[in-house]
Amino acid sequence: MLRRLSLPRLSLTSRLSFFFTLVAACVLLGLSGLFMTAADRHFSDLDRSTLQDKQHLIDDILTSANSPEDLRWRLSESLNHHHGLFVQVTTQTGQKLFETDGFPATNRWLLLEHETLLHALKGGRHGQRQYRVQQFHANAHYAPEAPLVIILATDTAHHQHFLDELLRTLGVYTAAAILVSGLLGWTAVYLGLSPLRAIKAHAAAVTAQRLQACMPVQAVPVEMADLAQTLNQMLERLQEMLERLQDDFRRLSEFASDLAHELRTPISNMLTQTQVTLAAQRDNTAYRDILASNAEELQRLARMVADMLFLAKTERGVDLPHKERFMAADEAQALLGFYEAVADDKGISLTAQGNGSIEGDRLMFRRALSNLLSNALRHTPAGGNVRIIVIALPNGTEVSVENTGEDIDPEVLPRLFDRFYRADPARAHPTSDGAGLGLAITKAIVEAHGGRASVKSAQGVTCFSLVFPYSDE
Amino acid sequence: MKILIVEDEPKTGEYLRQGLNEAGFVADLAATGSDGLHLALHGEYDLVILDVMLPELDGWQVLASLRRRGLEMPVLFLTARDQVEDRVKGLELGADDYLVKPFSFAELLARVRTILRRGRGSGLDSNVLRVDDLELDLLRRRVSRGGRRIDLTAKEFGLLELLMRRQGEVLPRSLIASQVWDMNFDSDTNVIEVAVRRLRLKVDDGQSIKLIQTVRGMGYVLEVPQEP
Repeated sequence: MLRRLSLPRLSLTSRLSFFFTLVAACVLLGLSGLFMTAADRHFSDLDRSTLQDKQHLIDDILTSANSPEDLRWRLSESLNHHHGLFVQVTTQTGQKLFETDGFPATNRWLLLEHETLLHALKGGRHGQRQYRVQQFHANAHYAPEAPLVIILATDTAHHQHFLDELLRTLGVYTAAAILVSGLLGWTAVYLGLSPLRAIKAHAAAVTAQRLQACMPVQAVPVEMADLAQTLNQMLERLQEMLERLQDDFRRLSEFASDLAHELRTPISNMLTQTQVTLAAQRDNTAYRDILASNAEELQRLARMVADMLFLAKTERGVDLPHKERFMAADEAQALLGFYEAVADDKGISLTAQGNGSIEGDRLMFRRALSNLLSNALRHTPAGGNVRIIVIALPNGTEVSVENTGEDIDPEVLPRLFDRFYRADPARAHPTSDGAGLGLAITKAIVEAHGGRASVKSAQGVTCFSLVFPYSDE
Repeated sequence: MKILIVEDEPKTGEYLRQGLNEAGFVADLAATGSDGLHLALHGEYDLVILDVMLPELDGWQVLASLRRRGLEMPVLFLTARDQVEDRVKGLELGADDYLVKPFSFAELLARVRTILRRGRGSGLDSNVLRVDDLELDLLRRRVSRGGRRIDLTAKEFGLLELLMRRQGEVLPRSLIASQVWDMNFDSDTNVIEVAVRRLRLKVDDGQSIKLIQTVRGMGYVLEVPQEP
């Protein structure tokens, strides 16, 4: 596996400063190197032309020398006062004819570059001196047939000294420049990253209570505006989610308190009744009565618990257990058969009209509609009518239950689907409608089908509508 | 008829046993899955009532063991879980019925009788049901009492048929709603009260013997009263 080469975990500022310094160092060192090379080349050119001049001079002397003595004399005349220039003239057999003072005492010349650059080792302990050396052959005028070997050497120490000095100066300068550019780089990066710190400061101010989109989009550079924008969008989403959670939580806690209220009355009834009965000796009929009454009350409680479990499950949005396509009118007819006796009893006309298909769970649909009918029949005065109206929509079916009766206060309308909501608070004892959960269950069922429930009430007609959309596929 | 109850909640188990004994069954109680399995394997029961959540072996394991050993007696599950998957799982394993807690005893009793009757075959080959002087002709869909014809709506006929087929049994409202109107959920029980009242008006009104009786807190029963 290829592992990415990673720097230790450094701050962005350190990282950028480091790279900036590295670049500055490279440039400065490169320049220094170039400068040094140029200087070095300049000095060797200078040395070479000096040696060239001297070679011409020696050539001239040789051409006009009449004897070895004459040659020696003339060479020493013209060369001895040249500081740092050393000449040695030998015959091919190695006989030394002339040597300037201080000619490097060495047993061998070290060939370093090509023939012209030789190093002399002198007096081991004194270290190494460098000479630029040129060796050539020439014939003296007096002995044309025996060429002489001439070695010319120039001491490069003062050049070297200069170059060393230059190197030292450049080194110090470069080091200082790198240091300064590092500092400048750090400052630049620090200033450049200030928008990031601004965002950080804003982010630090975000709490669960203050989730508003607060990143300064306008105030930061374009590259970071995007980031700020994205962060803002994220904050908005979080805010929405939080509000939904708070809403859920509030509803949950309301639900718990409603539940406790709903349980309190029947339990306290049963308790009182039972204890009063137990307080004195009674006949069997009395015991039977109290037990029957308790059983009725307990059945209501069991029903309430079952309804709440159903509601909780449906609201949690589980998948519909048995999804199928069926005709709404069939279910409406079945429910008419169920409720006809009650309607007849109260002198209410109960009818159904229209048709449309529903995609969903038949049992749940029937339950939803049943709750609406039960509710409508309860609130319709004698002689009124209740109608089921099914309308096929382009992408679903609307099922409404309409009943005549007193208008419902518009302020109350939206709360009708709430759990445990009863339009008449005075009716403390729940009837058989399951403790005011019926409409909440209906709403939950419709919403589990992706639809919605609504209610309107005007001019003596109240109408509950359920829209069941077709699924998308 | 012998019934085995496997239920770990002692109070529930004891009351179920008492209730079933008093309803004319011989009922035994086991408190754990393994005790229940042991009893079921050796006791020759006609029906097992099985709680799902049990110590040692759960209800499903007990049922699976029973079926593996070739015991085919009907099984009725009791559970606190109202989950479709549970229901499906129970039925797949070969349970015969399923009751979610909290349930009413009348409901349980009615279901127990339905299952046991199913096992025996209908036992009612006759096309005419009779209780005292009340007659219900299934083929001609006619009802008469003391020779006098009674006109009933279709649903009233269905209700009376149910009550007569199961005469002497207390039928809870939920069972009636389910059997007569196919309302398989906790529906408005007021509807059943109204329907029974109207039926009673047609069947019992003006008669010295009232056949359709309300058992408070439980449901309705059709029978000749013991003390006229």
